[in-house]
Amino acid sequence: MNGDRPSEEKPYRRLETQTLLQQIAFTGGLEALEASENGNLAWVTSGFPVEIPIAMNVGVVYPEQAGAIIGAQKIGPEVCSYAEDLGYSQELCSYARASIGSTEKPDEVPMGALPTPQILLACNNICGTVLRWYDAIAEMTGATVFLLDTPPIEAEQLPHHQEYVRKGVQRLIQFLEDKFSKPLQDERLAEVADLSSKAIGLWTRSLEACQKKPSPLNCADRFLTMAPVVSSRGTEQCVDFYETLLAEVDDRVSEGLGAVRDEKIRLLWDNIPMWYTLRFFNLLASRGVVFPADTYTHAWSGSIEGVDTSSIIDGIVEIYSNVYLNKGLDAKVDKMCQLIKDYDLDGFIMFSVRSCKRYSLGQMVSKELVTERTGVPGVIIEGDMVDSRVYNEAQIETRVDALLEMLM
Amino acid sequence: MSNEGVIEQSTAGLMQLVAAGEELIGYIYPHTPLELFMAHGLIPSLIRTLPQVPSGFEASLQTFACSYIRNLYSQRTSNQMPPLTGILFPSNTCDSLQNLGDIWRVRFPEDRVFRLTYPVTRNIIDDSTQRYLAEELRLLSESLTTIFERPFLKESYNRGISLVREFREGAKFLYSARVVNPKIISYSDVAQLVRVFLTTPTAAAASAITEAANSVKKMVTDLGIFENVESVMTALVNRDFENVQLPENLDAPRVVVAGGMIEPQALGTLIKDIPDIPESVITLDLLSFGFKSVFTPPLDESEDPFMEMAKSLLAAPGEPTQEGLKHRMIFLKDLLTNLSIHGLLICEQSFCDPDQFEAPSIERAASEVGIKTTRIPIDPELSDKARIEVRIQSFLETLTER
Ligand code: SF4
Ligand code: SF4
Repeated sequence: MNGDRPSEEKPYRRLETQTLLQQIAFTGGLEALEASENGNLAWVTSGFPVEIPIAMNVGVVYPEQAGAIIGAQKIGPEVCSYAEDLGYSQELCSYARASIGSTEKPDEVPMGALPTPQILLACNNICGTVLRWYDAIAEMTGATVFLLDTPPIEAEQLPHHQEYVRKGVQRLIQFLEDKFSKPLQDERLAEVADLSSKAIGLWTRSLEACQKKPSPLNCADRFLTMAPVVSSRGTEQCVDFYETLLAEVDDRVSEGLGAVRDEKIRLLWDNIPMWYTLRFFNLLASRGVVFPADTYTHAWSGSIEGVDTSSIIDGIVEIYSNVYLNKGLDAKVDKMCQLIKDYDLDGFIMFSVRSCKRYSLGQMVSKELVTERTGVPGVIIEGDMVDSRVYNEAQIETRVDALLEMLM
Repeated sequence: MSNEGVIEQSTAGLMQLVAAGEELIGYIYPHTPLELFMAHGLIPSLIRTLPQVPSGFEASLQTFACSYIRNLYSQRTSNQMPPLTGILFPSNTCDSLQNLGDIWRVRFPEDRVFRLTYPVTRNIIDDSTQRYLAEELRLLSESLTTIFERPFLKESYNRGISLVREFREGAKFLYSARVVNPKIISYSDVAQLVRVFLTTPTAAAASAITEAANSVKKMVTDLGIFENVESVMTALVNRDFENVQLPENLDAPRVVVAGGMIEPQALGTLIKDIPDIPESVITLDLLSFGFKSVFTPPLDESEDPFMEMAKSLLAAPGEPTQEGLKHRMIFLKDLLTNLSIHGLLICEQSFCDPDQFEAPSIERAASEVGIKTTRIPIDPELSDKARIEVRIQSFLETLTER
């Protein structure tokens, strides 16, 4: 388990496409800065129908990704502490704290502080926290919050739910038109929706390729390469990126190359990763453990099939309300069981994120249900995605070892 | 009466109702359409947190679950809940409650769990949120009819409206009278009356409030402050403080309590137990089970019931899901300034997203209008009682040093 060995000897294979991410992030950063200076920048939550602002040429950035970058730079505790100094409790979502902290002291956070937004676009299909977080940012920056409310769905989306969300999407379009004095062009929306579907299609194919043995991607690969499909689906650049990714994935599959050189155990990862120690996955790779699937990157898979504004809006109403995150415990358990079956997995690790209640509360129950239904064992480890102060490495190691012993 | 005493009293009241053949539906979120359950011949009962419950959540909830849902869950596992025929969970209000509803269904499959999903609004000018909630209410009503074979009866609905109206009219007056003269009736007494009604919404509980309000009305008339009280009530109802008239020489300090799902009754007991602190320092609470429930607008029985209930619930004052932060902070600043408030106690349940996200904004808003604040982490078990008392005491001392 020596992280310093030359790449060819490492237990995992580095994804070439990953290098393109830096370029994308760099260009995206410049564009966002320019948009902010032109009074045209939106911050968006990960589940927001970003196709609409993109079709109206509004610049978009994605604060959850900025949180991930802050986490990956291992400055999470420090940046979160800026928010805590303002009175935000350490118990709150660390993406939110990182975002508030970096908005308060942008100069202290060279990578990860986002340019000042003019508007904040939140969709609560991932959690209710985003709303309170964006309200706080609105107070700090003076930007206006637009909330697209997609109330949680029990079993299926009922007509009154559809009608309500449709009204919300129409209001969103109106809001953007009023704010930027630009109408939404039907053709442009259709073009963006098409590009978005293409990117999602390519991404889904890359994910599904991991059903193969050995799996061409490990979960750290997917965590890193998911950013464009979340924040900039609907752009040419995003499609290009996923074409390159899929080509590399297909190559690996045809050559029988796995993300982990000596794949022995296939596990499911549940939840956001701990960005500050993606090394966790590499260490496990040295023991032949690969994660061909995870619930986090599989959250974005619905593509919009509309041909004109009205049918595209219908698609948005359906897809963004029906993400499994918006459907509760049953849907999550179903999703996990399905992934375990489709990807032929031997077990699962659930990361219980202390500051993300929506996703994590209930994991103790879902763990039991998943094992009951699939017969595969799982383990829960606890920590946080950005704030490494609550990460207990020794305890996690013991739990993971116990799981692996069962599977070896 | 102490918090424990009130709990015992209301539990006894519930047992009597059940013994008399009534069916109880427990609810958790304060903005629940009591009239709907009453229309189906059911008794809605606010499930209260209990100060002394043995832990029973460890196998289902992580330690970062908020103290409120942990308390509810532990009550259920230790069989300390009243005999409920069903339980209503809110959806789309806070993440913890959302997930608790899911967990409950799995862990207690024998319980009848209902869900009411609220729209989250942000100063929306059309009626889409009302229509959405009205339809949710109609669907809930259909389920109640089918499951309990108890149809929605207009007559029972109208009776429910009168009962809730009587409760709110009385309670609003008591709240407003205390703003003008906090000594006129103790905060704990008002909290107790409100709590008893929300737990056992019977004619007797409503009459107790009316009686208290009548006797306070007489006192304020005798003291010549009736008009002041009316001006405060109008301001709180309309959320416009322009015409508030307060008498001169108000006792100091005057403190407002902010926060979410904190039990007003528990808070009252807490303050009462602090030596040398008169309970009358609490001028007003802005809590979910207090002010926000009491000042929810009444229903009009001549209109469509579901739309009326939706409108009323969505107009409850100060709810984080229903009003943007900016709007709530403007209201808070207005209230603090115009009601001559000196200090603000900000109560937070541990691991409560809504409370903890809002607290810094409340602190800033209060300081912008020159009002001192202190934050009090509190849980239903009052596990840190001694520290909280010291904190409140020293805060009040800073106010009297003005
Ligand atoms: S609370 Fe969880 S789902 Fe919500 S923004 Fe934070 S990490 Fe994401
Ligand atoms: S105390 Fe806070 S987090 Fe807990 S149920 Fe209430 S609002 Fe939700």
